[in-house]
Amino acid sequence: MALTLRRRAFLQLAMGAAAGIGAAAPHARAAAGADAATIGWPNDVPSWDPNQRFTPDAQPIFKAVFDQPLDQDPQLKLIPHLIKSWNLAADGLSMAVELRDDVTFHNGDPMTTADFRYTFFERIHSGVKLDTANSWKKVQDIVIESPTKATMKFDSPAPTAPQWLAFLGSYMVPKKYIESQGLDNFLKNPVGTGPYRLAEYELNSRIVLERYDNYWGPKANIARVTIEIVKDPSARVAAIQSGQTDFTINVPVREAQRFQSEPGLAAELDPITRVILIQMRADLAFADKNVRLAAHHAIDKAALSKAFYGGAAVPLSVLATPGTPGYLDDFTFQYDPALAKELLAKSNFGPGNPVKIGFATTNGQFPSDYDMARAIVQMWKQVGIDADLQVIEYAKYFELNRANKLPETTLYSWDNATGDPEIFSGYQLNPKMPFSPWKDEDIGQRVLTLFGVADYDKRIAGYRDLERYAVENGATVPLLQSVVTVARKKNLAYTKYANGWVLPQTLQWS
Amino acid sequence: MLATVAGLIARRAVAAIPILLAVSALLFCVLRLLPVDPAAMSLPPTATIAEIDAKRSEMGLDRPLPVQYLIWLRDALHGDFGRSIALRRDAGALVAAALPATIELAVAAMVIAAVLGVGGGLLMFHLRGTLGEPVVDFASILLLSIPEFLWGLILLFVFGVALRLLPFTGQVAPGLPLPHITGFLLVDALLVGRLDVFFSAWQHLILPAVALGLAFSPTIMRVLRSSLFDVYHEDYIEQARLRGLSEAQILLDHALKNAALPTLTLAGVQFGILFSGTLLVEVIYSYPGIGNLMVDAVRNADLPLIQAIGLTYCVVVLVINTAVDGLYVMLNPKLRVR
Repeated sequence: MALTLRRRAFLQLAMGAAAGIGAAAPHARAAAGADAATIGWPNDVPSWDPNQRFTPDAQPIFKAVFDQPLDQDPQLKLIPHLIKSWNLAADGLSMAVELRDDVTFHNGDPMTTADFRYTFFERIHSGVKLDTANSWKKVQDIVIESPTKATMKFDSPAPTAPQWLAFLGSYMVPKKYIESQGLDNFLKNPVGTGPYRLAEYELNSRIVLERYDNYWGPKANIARVTIEIVKDPSARVAAIQSGQTDFTINVPVREAQRFQSEPGLAAELDPITRVILIQMRADLAFADKNVRLAAHHAIDKAALSKAFYGGAAVPLSVLATPGTPGYLDDFTFQYDPALAKELLAKSNFGPGNPVKIGFATTNGQFPSDYDMARAIVQMWKQVGIDADLQVIEYAKYFELNRANKLPETTLYSWDNATGDPEIFSGYQLNPKMPFSPWKDEDIGQRVLTLFGVADYDKRIAGYRDLERYAVENGATVPLLQSVVTVARKKNLAYTKYANGWVLPQTLQWS
Repeated sequence: MLATVAGLIARRAVAAIPILLAVSALLFCVLRLLPVDPAAMSLPPTATIAEIDAKRSEMGLDRPLPVQYLIWLRDALHGDFGRSIALRRDAGALVAAALPATIELAVAAMVIAAVLGVGGGLLMFHLRGTLGEPVVDFASILLLSIPEFLWGLILLFVFGVALRLLPFTGQVAPGLPLPHITGFLLVDALLVGRLDVFFSAWQHLILPAVALGLAFSPTIMRVLRSSLFDVYHEDYIEQARLRGLSEAQILLDHALKNAALPTLTLAGVQFGILFSGTLLVEVIYSYPGIGNLMVDAVRNADLPLIQAIGLTYCVVVLVINTAVDGLYVMLNPKLRVR
């Protein structure tokens, strides 16, 4: 017996040492075999409760483990998912839904309307702090008619309820599992209905996903995906270049351009539904509409795109991105420094007598923000606007805005994965929202009215009018459609989504 | 001797109480005076201004600062450091989970810094008055002028990208499990008998530890050399020569022991600085320690988490200083007599 144990121990040691030596070999390939891939991702998930926090960067990871009731196709068209069909009432006060009957959670439990009611009604009233409590606060009840049929009841019109069922935080969670195992156990061992199940998780380090073979929809192409959390952009560049990861996002633009000519690697700069804009105030030096419009006409957006995004970021004239319902193909706000000077002259300003404004920017909140702000300051100087550039922390933004202390202009980046205009101009120009420095009653009232319009076509038409009206009145300065940079092994393909999602389930080796 | 050291530790523990109170109060006040809005940060972007105001009241942010501090202190004394705003988890538990990784990294880095520092110091002293002296002097100044995060990037690109010799993301290679027993990965890997995990963890530890070690070794080098210069002016060195001892014996058996005391004091101070230096290095190497956690906490204005991590740094520095003083007592007979 003693001899057997010693031999076993020896074999274990020898195998371990061999594996260690193997691991010590130069690192050429991140994931062994075609059925595995390693992704370098810039942020961890905030928690494994997908309803808890609205974190745009975490959505693709959540979408691998959990399912949303509705989904979006790569062009962002709303499509059935866990919900087979839905019908929003004409008054926007209720929405009937029918769920699929072939969906199971990773623990084998079937998904039913009880889970739907739990996720979108019971949980948010249970005292658990969830961000979805805010997005679904209009839900008065969810009436269950059968295991697959239910009706959501709202206390006021909810015209964007279908969009929100495919947006931030709206992921189906298992009622029975959470109630029987407790929230803490759910957070340690999350159970969803998504194409992958969580195999391993280390905070701020890595997430290992394994394909869920009983998935109701198209199976994931790659069986095992390891997501390494690599926060530093230089380290993400190094990791893909050295072969320690197979795929990464948000690398610097110049690195993405370099990778395009690197053998074995590919890189893209994909325009997404993220808008870079200048938020405006309606008072102080910007109480004068001429000054606001002059500030807009003075900015050469194409030059900004070329300088900071390699020309890939699309110059915008409205607060919506091409291909989304609120985008206006036929409206262009011209770059015209001469007109800017004329407008300023009408208000007795000019290069010799510049109007003085404040301009807030973050530094590092989104790529090239500070450098872009400096370039804009120079453009304004040419026409007679003297901007005092102030760097603020993103965390400070809300406090400054709440206290009405933001300067006349603020450089800002706004993400809207749905592409719906309510979440673009609706939120950006709603004076009751914490990220809208624009407090003008006229536009504010227009927005608040649109928040209650249930008819989709009327609502979209209203927003399209608002987009033009807001820009023509100098309420906002849309600058560029932002881009997401992707760097990958040339033989690792992915599906491009217009909102920048990179979903692990769409990765495929060729 | 043990009684002396135990007495010292007990005195230090008592003295640490007012220090911790002062640091926690200072940290609390500074964080609350920052122009950030934790209430807004803790709510989704769809929250209205009225909802943010209600949240502020719920979080107690509308109360006087001393009242807020006393509430925090009462909870902290019961082991409750509040909940992380961004992660909505217990801040103390988050720090406790991440701390072992940082301790492993800092200890490994300190060992490297000590080996390089002592070796380099002896070499510098040995080459005194020779043509090699300005060369090693220049090398030590060069090492001193490069901060740890720059070493991190240099090593990453040389050994990770160009030579592809060592991994540089995370704690172990993809595909290997992460055992959880004590929280110290190297220890846990051995406890579960996974040598592959142990070797992989070492490989992942090398570059960040060397980056930190390189940045902190030159100070040790230079202090050791200066101490050796001082010691060599003492009479007992001359007497040792008269007794016919070789220069190597004099250096290693007599001079080094005495020159080590100021170096040890400095190493203790350095370890505290090195511990906080893990912050950027952990981000560069995606190492899941408290430095990495701190960067996220600062980015999210996560005040409870920043407070918990800040206090942890303070405790670590106090513990290190106490340990160094204990070692000092053990190594210095004069202090034991007193």
